[in-house]
Amino acid sequence: MSDPAPLTTDHPGQVASATPPAPGRSRRSRRLSDRGLAVAFTSPALLLLLAMSVFPLLWALYLSFTDYSATRGGPAQFLWFENYTAILTSPQVHQRALTTLVYVVGAVTLQTVLGFAIAYLISRRTHGRGLLTTLFLVPMMLSPVVVGLFWRFMLDAQFGVINSMLGSLGLGQVEWLTGQRTALISLILVDTWQWTPFIMLIALAGLTAVPTYLYEAASIDRASEWFRFRTITLPLVWPLLLIAVLFRAIEAFRLFDLVYILTSGGPGVSTETLSFHVYKVAFLGFNTGTASAYGILMVLVVIVLTQLYLRYLNKLKED
Amino acid sequence: MRYPQRRGRLSVPGRKAGLAAAALLVATTAAACGGGQNDSAPKAPATIPELTKDPLTLSFIWFDWPPAHALEAFANAEYAKERPNVTVKVKTVPNANWHDAMFTQFAAHKTDFDIPILDSQHIGEAVTNGNILDITDFVKKNIDVKAYNPYLLAAYGQFPQAETGKRDENASLYGLPLLGDTWTMIYRKDLIGDKPPQTWDEMISVAEKCQADNPGVSGLAFHQANGSDAAAVTYNTVNGVYGGNLWNPRTRKIDGVLNDAAGQEAMDVLVNKMKPLTAKGSGNWFIDEVNAAVAQGKACIAFNWIAASGGLLDPKQSTLGATREEILDKLGFAALPSQKTNLVPLGGMGMHVSAYSPEANQAEALNFMKWFEQADIQKKWAAAGGVPSRTDALESPEFLDAAPFNQVYTDSVPRMRDMWNVPEYARLVDIENTNVNAALNGAKTPKEALDDIAKEQQSVLDSSSGKGGGGL
Amino acid sequence: MAVSVDEAVGTRPARDRTPRARRFGGRGRAVLEVALLTVLAAVMLFPALWMIETSIKENRDVYAIPAKFFDFKVTMDHFKDVFVASGGGRSTLSDSFLNSVVVAGASTALATVLGVPAAWAYSRFAVKAKKDQLFFILSTRFMPPVVVVIPIFLMYRQVGLIDTKLGLILIYAAFNIPFTIWMMKGFVDEVPAEYEDAAMLDGYTRLQAFWRFTLPLLLPGIAATAVFALIFSWNEFVFAIFLTSSDSVRTAPPAIAGLIGGTTVDWGLVAAASVVFALPVLVFAYLVRRHLVAGVTLGAVRR
Repeated sequence: MSDPAPLTTDHPGQVASATPPAPGRSRRSRRLSDRGLAVAFTSPALLLLLAMSVFPLLWALYLSFTDYSATRGGPAQFLWFENYTAILTSPQVHQRALTTLVYVVGAVTLQTVLGFAIAYLISRRTHGRGLLTTLFLVPMMLSPVVVGLFWRFMLDAQFGVINSMLGSLGLGQVEWLTGQRTALISLILVDTWQWTPFIMLIALAGLTAVPTYLYEAASIDRASEWFRFRTITLPLVWPLLLIAVLFRAIEAFRLFDLVYILTSGGPGVSTETLSFHVYKVAFLGFNTGTASAYGILMVLVVIVLTQLYLRYLNKLKED
Repeated sequence: MRYPQRRGRLSVPGRKAGLAAAALLVATTAAACGGGQNDSAPKAPATIPELTKDPLTLSFIWFDWPPAHALEAFANAEYAKERPNVTVKVKTVPNANWHDAMFTQFAAHKTDFDIPILDSQHIGEAVTNGNILDITDFVKKNIDVKAYNPYLLAAYGQFPQAETGKRDENASLYGLPLLGDTWTMIYRKDLIGDKPPQTWDEMISVAEKCQADNPGVSGLAFHQANGSDAAAVTYNTVNGVYGGNLWNPRTRKIDGVLNDAAGQEAMDVLVNKMKPLTAKGSGNWFIDEVNAAVAQGKACIAFNWIAASGGLLDPKQSTLGATREEILDKLGFAALPSQKTNLVPLGGMGMHVSAYSPEANQAEALNFMKWFEQADIQKKWAAAGGVPSRTDALESPEFLDAAPFNQVYTDSVPRMRDMWNVPEYARLVDIENTNVNAALNGAKTPKEALDDIAKEQQSVLDSSSGKGGGGL
Repeated sequence: MAVSVDEAVGTRPARDRTPRARRFGGRGRAVLEVALLTVLAAVMLFPALWMIETSIKENRDVYAIPAKFFDFKVTMDHFKDVFVASGGGRSTLSDSFLNSVVVAGASTALATVLGVPAAWAYSRFAVKAKKDQLFFILSTRFMPPVVVVIPIFLMYRQVGLIDTKLGLILIYAAFNIPFTIWMMKGFVDEVPAEYEDAAMLDGYTRLQAFWRFTLPLLLPGIAATAVFALIFSWNEFVFAIFLTSSDSVRTAPPAIAGLIGGTTVDWGLVAAASVVFALPVLVFAYLVRRHLVAGVTLGAVRR
């Protein structure tokens, strides 16, 4: 939501001062029909967005100040900021925030390093790059449901293939999904497995776009490979990589389905992320008021991240 | 890509849409505030109204497991004989989603099912919100209540909740039993002998010995997951056997009751004596994982719901034998061992009538319930793989011969204890699940976990007067 | 310039243009790199291969310890179970696949029909506060679904859209429109506005010019965009599980998730269902491989 403010302001609706694509054709009728077209073409999409995204959020905002419950009847009482203070001061929420932070930072860091490394290795190959890239992209295309279910099966301590392979190597069984630390690590690993290709894809796009004459110039200067990487490759790929990283961070912050299927927050609540906690508040106790406030706070975090993302994106486009 | 740098004025579509959204907001907010005042359950008629002759689909909602498919097949085969114009449909949702699927529809005051199959513990929430019909008068007039163990009748229908083992004849009824259930002990006759252990302590030491004698086979397998009611039922069972109490219903006290000396001992037994005998990484096991462990020959003694044990006898799923008989040579089923008490967990579900169903469907639902609770139909249900509730059906050869664990159920009926069926059940059980699961997986010490459960559950009960606030 | 996978993976090595003598380590290093890539590729692909393998194993082999990699009996029973109910007839799982086709197809069509003209308008006309509008549109796509589902749920309850295909179609369309607009705007930007101007000089109205001259040029872009929208709707889980409950509406992801949590887990069936479910996505992803970079970033990155 970069700018929801205009929705509430009430200006006369003069817009779309149609710029004629070619100079010297500003006949009044054409102007009007252009403006009409612009309105007719953008308003259906905007209306659907307003109805399905903005309106629900405004409603959630209203509910977040009340004690409304979706199952218990009766009129909602205004609590004003009571829900918000309860959430912000709750140690339960702090714990989930920490879990989410560890998860987001861990997963995004790991997939950035791995994704960039793979992209770098692929970009150095002459043959089979098309095949390699296509193969690497498979995990990213799978539904989180399929990914979650299947990793749950593979990580099963007793019957899972991962422990079976570790066993063949003479290593002991690991409690992937039921250890307090390992469960969160497993979550990070599975997310990394699925989304490393994403970073790889974008990094590869950046790496291939580096003009070769820069390297040729550097090689004439007898620059070391590390020097070339640091001074040519990284600065050129970095802006694109940053976009990918921020994009992943937002997605990881929103994550729900993988937790739901892989660990359902366990053991105890040690893999409960903020998303999962909101779900429990909203659908187990039907504390709709609290859940709405919780959701609005999450949306605020997303807005900040999105703003960062869009700012970098804009910068990238301007360059 | 260029953007004009002017800003501030609202586009025409934006403005129109804004107005439309505002109008919608006002309308729906009014509706949201206006709806849902009926806080007491509407009453079903004492006599079944005249039934329709038009084609009618009677819909149930349950979670996806074999009894749900058995019920649909059974009802379509048998009920159609009496009511040929009726088709029975049992809708199924994933177990993890069962409560949400029913109660979100209840909350909408519009259900696509006529008969919700509620867990006994869901009754409080449904009754308090007026989601299901009060069938007290209907039961008085149409059901032979003396044919049942009183507690079975109370457990799936009575609210406020009955005292364990009893039924309050003056209390209102909101449902009738559909499928009885409890835990059975599943033991390997070839590993620990034909005679099942009689006390909990004995069971633990037998499992310990079995595990030591048979490398690769773990002593115990039971539910430990933090979803549904898995870990909570496990603790509640041990708590009951060791003489603990979940709460004091009269004073609504949990803190100080659940975590008293008996409760602490039970948690200690569960975490420090039983958990070490389970397979590594079994901390997220529920029904299907326990079944898999038994079928793969990886457990000496296991605990599971009777209604979920049918698959164990299927040679296609099992490595214990190539035929049902071969499997039964190795697997024994027994009622739970006792210790300080002989309590066992009450499972199973009742049939209820959605308050939001059309009248013709509600009438049909009542008629179905009356039909279902007849003696001969209960026996046929038993033969079709169901677990009946009428005492005569429970003692009939049709039931007892249908499966090796059915005798266990009949023996366990007088020993049952339920959890709380208050409206806050979903949150109480979640608190218990996550904390017991944490204790079983070493994320909390047993004492810490139990005290946390007591404290958090108490605060849920105490704050229950509030509505949609709180709940963190 | 749009970097496509084809381009990114062309035969031209990115930077080994250095003279041979300057190459570090030479052949030894190349071998090491290939080995590293092979290992990484194996790790990334193993789960998918294991899934395929599990789907053709008999159940007793599925649980075998140590795991059986090669010596198992191949069976197609699980794939049969995906489509055929145990008593004959269509399985509920195959119903859910059909629902997924309907929901994903309809929501994609809706998002395309609404999004493409909007993208064209944003590209061609100087709409007031265009930048803000566009950024606002994109940011709605980033809302956490678990948060959005609460008010959506309440809203749908009022208007009777809970547990309907239409409800899912609308919310998926709303989530796909930002993507469609951003992605398509890039494609429209690449079509010179002069084409339309020329057509208008010939007497066509602007609408006709769009319809007859620009739109045909956009078709490949529309196809690629629609495929990404289709993939999103096809894979979506959160809205599906919270807004639907009956077999006749439920899409495949919650149906597949529902395969566990009964009394026994048939991992062979889960794997077979997953394979059937994932295949169309992989095929579609292959078809739009040229636009993957733009597609996975919601059209934001198109260099």
